[in-house]
Amino acid sequence: MDILIFIVGGTLAAATALIFAAMGELVAEKSGVLNLGIEGMMATGAAMGFVVMSLSGSYTLGFLAGAGLGMVLSLVHAALTLVFRANQVASGLAVGILGLGLSSAIGKKFEGRTVDGLPETGIPILSEIPVLGPMFFQQDIMVYMSILLIPATWYVLNRTKLGLTIRAIGESPEAAHALGLKVRVIRASCVAFGGAMAGIGGAYMSIAYTPLWAEGMIAGRGWIVVALTVFGTWMVGRVAFGAYLFGSISLLQLSIQALGLNIPSQLMSALPYLVTIVMLAVISRNPMFIRLNSPASLGATLKLS
Amino acid sequence: MLPKTLKLTAAAATAAALALPSAAQELTIGFVYPSPIADVGWSAELDAGRLAVEEHFGDRVRTIFVENVPEGPDAARIMNQMAAQGAGMIMLGSFGYMNDGMRLAEQRPDLTFIHASGYLLASNFGNFQSRNYETSYLVGMAAADVTETDTIGIVAAYAIPEVVGMINGFALGVQEVNPDATIKVVWLNSWFDPPLAQESARALMAQESDVIYSLYQDTPSVVSVAEEEGVWVINTSSDMKEYAPTWLLASQVADWSTHFIDSVQASLDGTFEGTAFWGGYADDTVDVESWSESISPETMAMIEEAEAAMRAGSFHPLTGPIEDQDGMTRLAEGEVITDEAMLGIDWLVSGVETRIPQ
Repeated sequence: MDILIFIVGGTLAAATALIFAAMGELVAEKSGVLNLGIEGMMATGAAMGFVVMSLSGSYTLGFLAGAGLGMVLSLVHAALTLVFRANQVASGLAVGILGLGLSSAIGKKFEGRTVDGLPETGIPILSEIPVLGPMFFQQDIMVYMSILLIPATWYVLNRTKLGLTIRAIGESPEAAHALGLKVRVIRASCVAFGGAMAGIGGAYMSIAYTPLWAEGMIAGRGWIVVALTVFGTWMVGRVAFGAYLFGSISLLQLSIQALGLNIPSQLMSALPYLVTIVMLAVISRNPMFIRLNSPASLGATLKLS
Repeated sequence: MLPKTLKLTAAAATAAALALPSAAQELTIGFVYPSPIADVGWSAELDAGRLAVEEHFGDRVRTIFVENVPEGPDAARIMNQMAAQGAGMIMLGSFGYMNDGMRLAEQRPDLTFIHASGYLLASNFGNFQSRNYETSYLVGMAAADVTETDTIGIVAAYAIPEVVGMINGFALGVQEVNPDATIKVVWLNSWFDPPLAQESARALMAQESDVIYSLYQDTPSVVSVAEEEGVWVINTSSDMKEYAPTWLLASQVADWSTHFIDSVQASLDGTFEGTAFWGGYADDTVDVESWSESISPETMAMIEEAEAAMRAGSFHPLTGPIEDQDGMTRLAEGEVITDEAMLGIDWLVSGVETRIPQ
């Protein structure tokens, strides 16, 4: 039973940073801007969030600082790609590397330090339920927020005028421009939202999930986010499903190792990646469907005067 | 890597400025560290050795250091720069600096090098390692003493011989005190992933491990989660008492001071020989710090006895009879493992449940 609570309850927390960053990346990509710098933005968010939280003692300030710096970095990407028409892939990579370096500089004095993690907030009554209570209703506040972010992102993208505008720009920025939509402003806002969410995801890693700062602690999770949006075919539900699947298989493989079953541990370490890719590829195997959902202008240089 | 490179260049420039030869100093020693010098961890431990050298020799030597140096061209450039600026001795703090260091050692026979881990040797290029399996044996005894579930979990990075040797030493220590205890290992297959290390510790706790042995996790990831959950924890490579004031059972540490001071003395005297230094208790290189008060006096007495025997060189943790996981006899009654076999060890003793990744 403990194992079950560990895996199910742990998955929600393990996927939280991925959910934040992936929802942000999804919105940016829906508007047609590929941001490959997520890893760097998460790292800067983690460093900044940790430093501000340790100095101020406030989790709120920590998350805000992480979000703020993630946003600033993503705006560099927005400026390069939208104003100076740089290649989105090259710019994203460059900004990501800049972010990794920046995180190291910001966190220098705090290397290897710890803070108390974000406390858990039990939901009254519900958290008392045996088994289910500790699994779902004894989490920290950001876990609940990340769960709420999923339907919110879906609603905005699919049921509001703003969402329609974002998707229209992602399909054809030229046509949207001809209709009088402010393509650059909206795209930049979507990228900024993505950067802020990546910053929050990073800060979640350093002040809530693994409450410590160590350079390189994001350890590739930003790249998983980029992969999730693509394998989830830019659909909110599938991207979220992918994040939870990845989180649960990561914890499952550690539990299987801890059980002492004699399965090669290299295979177990690769399992989260394999299962997530296979599952998402299977549910998204219809090529027509992928083409319908992928933003047509994704990655293309903006052709507006 | 723009910012990192800039930072490195800046650091190297500072190092270079510091290294200007001065009449009072007989020797400038350069230290190259693979990670930032934090409060704890591998680089911090090496840097403690540097400070000991400074204190011992005073004005006779000057030390310079560059931290967070990636293996590869950056490392080669930093060590070349140190050599060009008059360093007479260089300490290389990571396995991956070996080939670049050796190349420089061949070009500059007037310099001396000491290199952490690694296997290449030359007359002016020595390497150093610590016999951590000795302290692993002692902390294993302590783990067996405090466990109530008879289940002990290990979080380990990769199955390299050093780590395998430490797990064996640990398991033998556990079995000395509590032959019924179960030992489980989670292999991370990653050198650095603090969140994954923490998840692994939680996975082990969810399956009743009430002592966690954190093997070469350079950050306090495992130690702090153990303190939070109220589970005993043992740390490797530096003392992390401040991160787990209640639940830290012990910390295995290595002290490079003696070896560094000896090597510097040899360089000053012109008697440096490139040797493979493998220091244990007998060489004052390894020790255990911050023993918990909760260890029973009987076990503590056994630990002290074993420690004294290792200091005297009369006891090796891997002394037969020892069987491996398949029940094959690896060491016969009374047989002591050779250093050569220990350096290439690729089997786990019986009693460890998890297999080595093949």
